Amino acid sequence: MSYILLAPEILLTILALGIILLGLLISDRSKNMLGYLSAAGLAACLIYIIGTKGEGRFFYDALVVDPLSQIFKLIFVAVSLIVVIASIAYFKNNRNQDEYYALILLATVGMMVVASANDLVALFVGFELASMSTYVLAGFEKKNPASLEAALKYFIIGSLSSALMLFGMSLVYGITGSTNIPAILQYYSSNSPVSLDIIAMLFLIAGFGFKMALVPFHMWAPDTYEGSPTVVSALLAAGSKKMGFVAAFRVLVLALVALRMDLQMTFAILAVITMTYGNVVAISQRSIKRMLAYSSIAQAGYISLAFVVTTQMSIAGGVLLALGHALMKGGAFLAVGVVGYMVLSDNKDAKNIDHLDNFSGLGKRAPITAFSLFVLLLALAGIPPSAGFVGKFVLFYSVTAEAVSAASGWLLFIVIVAILNSALSIYYYARVIKYMYVNAPAGERIKEPTPYVVAILLAVIGTIGIGLYPEPFVQMAMDAARVLGV
Amino acid sequence: MSDLYSYLLVAAIVFTIGAYGIITQRSGIKILMSIELMLNAANINLVAFSSFNGDTAGQVFALFSIAIAAAEAAIGFAILVVLFRVRDTINLDNINILRW
Repeated sequence: MSYILLAPEILLTILALGIILLGLLISDRSKNMLGYLSAAGLAACLIYIIGTKGEGRFFYDALVVDPLSQIFKLIFVAVSLIVVIASIAYFKNNRNQDEYYALILLATVGMMVVASANDLVALFVGFELASMSTYVLAGFEKKNPASLEAALKYFIIGSLSSALMLFGMSLVYGITGSTNIPAILQYYSSNSPVSLDIIAMLFLIAGFGFKMALVPFHMWAPDTYEGSPTVVSALLAAGSKKMGFVAAFRVLVLALVALRMDLQMTFAILAVITMTYGNVVAISQRSIKRMLAYSSIAQAGYISLAFVVTTQMSIAGGVLLALGHALMKGGAFLAVGVVGYMVLSDNKDAKNIDHLDNFSGLGKRAPITAFSLFVLLLALAGIPPSAGFVGKFVLFYSVTAEAVSAASGWLLFIVIVAILNSALSIYYYARVIKYMYVNAPAGERIKEPTPYVVAILLAVIGTIGIGLYPEPFVQMAMDAARVLGV
Repeated sequence: MSDLYSYLLVAAIVFTIGAYGIITQRSGIKILMSIELMLNAANINLVAFSSFNGDTAGQVFALFSIAIAAAEAAIGFAILVVLFRVRDTINLDNINILRW
């Protein structure tokens, strides 16, 4: 039995534990090199994941490597890579850097285990590994009350969702007698659902819904993203949120298909409320991190359209939008990080560093960041050529195709609501662009920290690259959807 | 059969008490205790089903979840301790810097 396909997970685990050990031995000054070490490890994993095509099952069918797991691992590793690169600047000369990088790597391993999980136990353990690492990361600035408050809120809601999920899993195990996902599906394909199945599914939907930040399970997300250190917000919004989606793809989509349960309407209502609420509330936000948080709630609403129709194409669209959203949102949060750096270098005790006013004249003060943020915000709104456009196009097209073939009026209505929502979102993205390029700058041009610039440019290149050459990514997403056999 | 139902009933009651506690309690410690109740309700379910089905997978799952719940409690208390040092309170009504 060769474990070579799990090399990324193994490498990152060893690296994380090695960094903790190394942190004890080296001086505070030389800890700055740990960021480069983590970035190198993540880059190696990224190359390995892109270059390897194999499939396999490991540890008595608990973990599986297939196209679905690989595309989500790509998302997680890419997000962690840009976050780690930016953190080299953000946490420079911080004496707890070793723990920071170890936690980021462990969170990434947890997300990758969730992406590969083929068993409820592995799924739960992966979820918890990623969640617990990110609880600590959210509160990493332990002198900053906002960061601690973000961590506490995230912790309470996160543990509540874990408890709901575990209770749902225990019911599923009780009904089907197995924790292995294929075995569960086999049970359901030969037995008709009982009422307890619906209760179990509702627990699972609530548990995953908290992680995905769907309305009404979203209230932790804006607070946590606003209070956390900006680089951690990028990891949470871009990476750990996608963990809920991959789990939902693996468990819920399959269960919905196998159970032939009529939860279409439930997901349709959730999706419509989520995207509308996210976009409407984002309009009134003055804090850019909070605005991005609400916009990522709206994006979660778009992605969850994939659960409504559950055709192969819609799931491919959901996966593509998840990939695009990870790059766009990660890059946008890091650009906010540059603004924070700029404001703090003007005035050490500044409060509300992500306020909209601080973006005035950013085009003059930090031209590379401002232009990247401009591209990423338009991509988030779905303007071609960008990953945001490709994802939304495939997703909305698939729902329309299903609406036409099923002659279903309400599916068409949902597509129209989604497109109107995209139009609405341009308003608050454009407002930031206006502040950056039209309003007068509040200070001199600054020297943008190189690690931030590298990380943001990587996100921009990824976003535009997927927009210009969508074929290989659409193919990957279609392969991923084929795994689900819908 | 009736045995299984009584275990499930206990688990459901414990779970509900935990959920009620999270909604109504304002002290960070009590909320942590409520979360533990909810996790342990799921463990009761797992062990009861495992014994009823004559399959050990559920007990293994319960062991995993007990270990995870312990780690979770440790992290929760750590966050509360650091918060208490900065804010001198762990009452959730006073923890409201972040809002729109």
